[in-house]
Amino acid sequence: MEDIRLQPAMVVDDVVKRFGRGDEIVTAVDHVSFNVAQGEFVSVIGPSGCGKSTLFNIIGGLLGDYEGSVMIGDERISAPHPAVGMVFQEESTFPWRNVIDNVAFPLELQGVAKSERMDRAHHFIDMVGLASFEKNFPSQLSGGMRQRVSIARTLVSQPKILLMDEPFAALDEQTRLLLGDKITQIQQELNQTTLLITHNLTEAVQLSDRIVVMTYRPGKVKRIVDINLKRPRTSDVVGSDAFGHYVAEIWNDLREEASRGMADSESAASRRGAHG
Amino acid sequence: MAATGEMKAPARRAVAPAVSTAPVTARRVLLVRVIVALAVLAVWEGLSRSGLFYGEVIPSLTRIAASLGKLLVDPVFYKNLQVTALETFASLSIGAALGIVTGIVLGANRFLMRAFEPYVYYLSPTPRIILFPVMIMWFGVGPASKVALGALSAYFAVALSTAAGMRQIDAILIRVGRSFRATTWQMATKIYLPAMRVPILNGIRLGMGTAIITVLLAETKLSNQGLGYMIMQVYTRFDMPGLYALLIVVFAIAGACNALIGKLAREQV
Repeated sequence: MEDIRLQPAMVVDDVVKRFGRGDEIVTAVDHVSFNVAQGEFVSVIGPSGCGKSTLFNIIGGLLGDYEGSVMIGDERISAPHPAVGMVFQEESTFPWRNVIDNVAFPLELQGVAKSERMDRAHHFIDMVGLASFEKNFPSQLSGGMRQRVSIARTLVSQPKILLMDEPFAALDEQTRLLLGDKITQIQQELNQTTLLITHNLTEAVQLSDRIVVMTYRPGKVKRIVDINLKRPRTSDVVGSDAFGHYVAEIWNDLREEASRGMADSESAASRRGAHG
Repeated sequence: MAATGEMKAPARRAVAPAVSTAPVTARRVLLVRVIVALAVLAVWEGLSRSGLFYGEVIPSLTRIAASLGKLLVDPVFYKNLQVTALETFASLSIGAALGIVTGIVLGANRFLMRAFEPYVYYLSPTPRIILFPVMIMWFGVGPASKVALGALSAYFAVALSTAAGMRQIDAILIRVGRSFRATTWQMATKIYLPAMRVPILNGIRLGMGTAIITVLLAETKLSNQGLGYMIMQVYTRFDMPGLYALLIVVFAIAGACNALIGKLAREQV
């Protein structure tokens, strides 16, 4: 794998994002740098309030005003880029479109002819295991199925980099593990370069080649951990010793940050209580 | 993964009580409605025969029915119906088109919404008919003044409803559109409009109601054609059976239009 990493698909270089003005400036992302190689699966993990979502929006091009650079090839990201496909944490299927029309949406925007659009949408619906639900509307599907529709909709545009923000956050643990399998399988099938934003430790270790651990506010890179678990991988890996070691090791880093975050929100809560 | 067990049954929540009690309740409701209608007709007929009222004020049901029959084959009626229908349609088209545009602009722009909100809210319940003299001066006594007034009344209903619908759109759907680099036109046609279909149709339904009312009202005030004009003609002749027959037809038409748009709004794709 080392040779492939010589050509990064994306380089995040010294990215800083501050919100607010005057005395109330909050630094959400603080001098963050890492890169993602061609075909690599990288996770960014950190406690709530570490600037993960801000980073997601910057890389996705939805937050154009930031310092430093996110480079894809020799282009600096400042608006949504065709090479980046985003999958959101929230429920994001179009309720008025059925599954196949939801998935075909990006192709429709590009003006792809209808028959080709349907063929390509069908291919990716099949890949996420929803072939028999093409004509169903989102309201007729479970949360896990709807999230797979969103993933297929992003994959159909064939992005160079798949960018996901806690896509399984709203799902239960079993569904999450199974969907993780699906993601691993798709990623290996397409050799899909993927960047996953998450706060879920097992999910990150299960899926990633590398994990970027973030600190609590301001969000800096605390450490980057290589995950040398065999590929192809399945959710069985969760039971292995090596998996346990990685989880323990990263939790060690994360615990301090998470408890800082917790202390912060507790003191904020008691301040609110005192005023109330 | 794609097992059917994972699929939710969308009908489940409604099914249980509906099966057991709904037909019984529905039958009872229908029964009460029929009884009310029959009672009203009986009281009417009784009053008509009692001789308590002067002359033709409450004509007998048979005479109203006869008038209704005559009305429905009268070419003059259809000419007037056509005028009113066209005036209402034109009012609604103009009012709805302008209302949707205004609603989108106000809904998309917080600043403009705050600036214009008081005008829209406080002007919308004002009876439009008080502006009728102004409309006559601007547009004359013909259909144009009725259309202008009807359009004005439909406009507010549609604009308010569209603006509210716009602000209720799930922000994530807009982010999805942006992430796929949708153009402004694509955002409007493929995300905003479909997401706002139901509130817009509801606005159009309300707008149609007020457009019909306003057009008819304006026709009764000053005009030389249309159903409102015809009602006043019949009234001037003191043809009470004819007047009631006309009112029945107007109720029926307004009710049918309302039901049709209501059905469109409820039909979730």
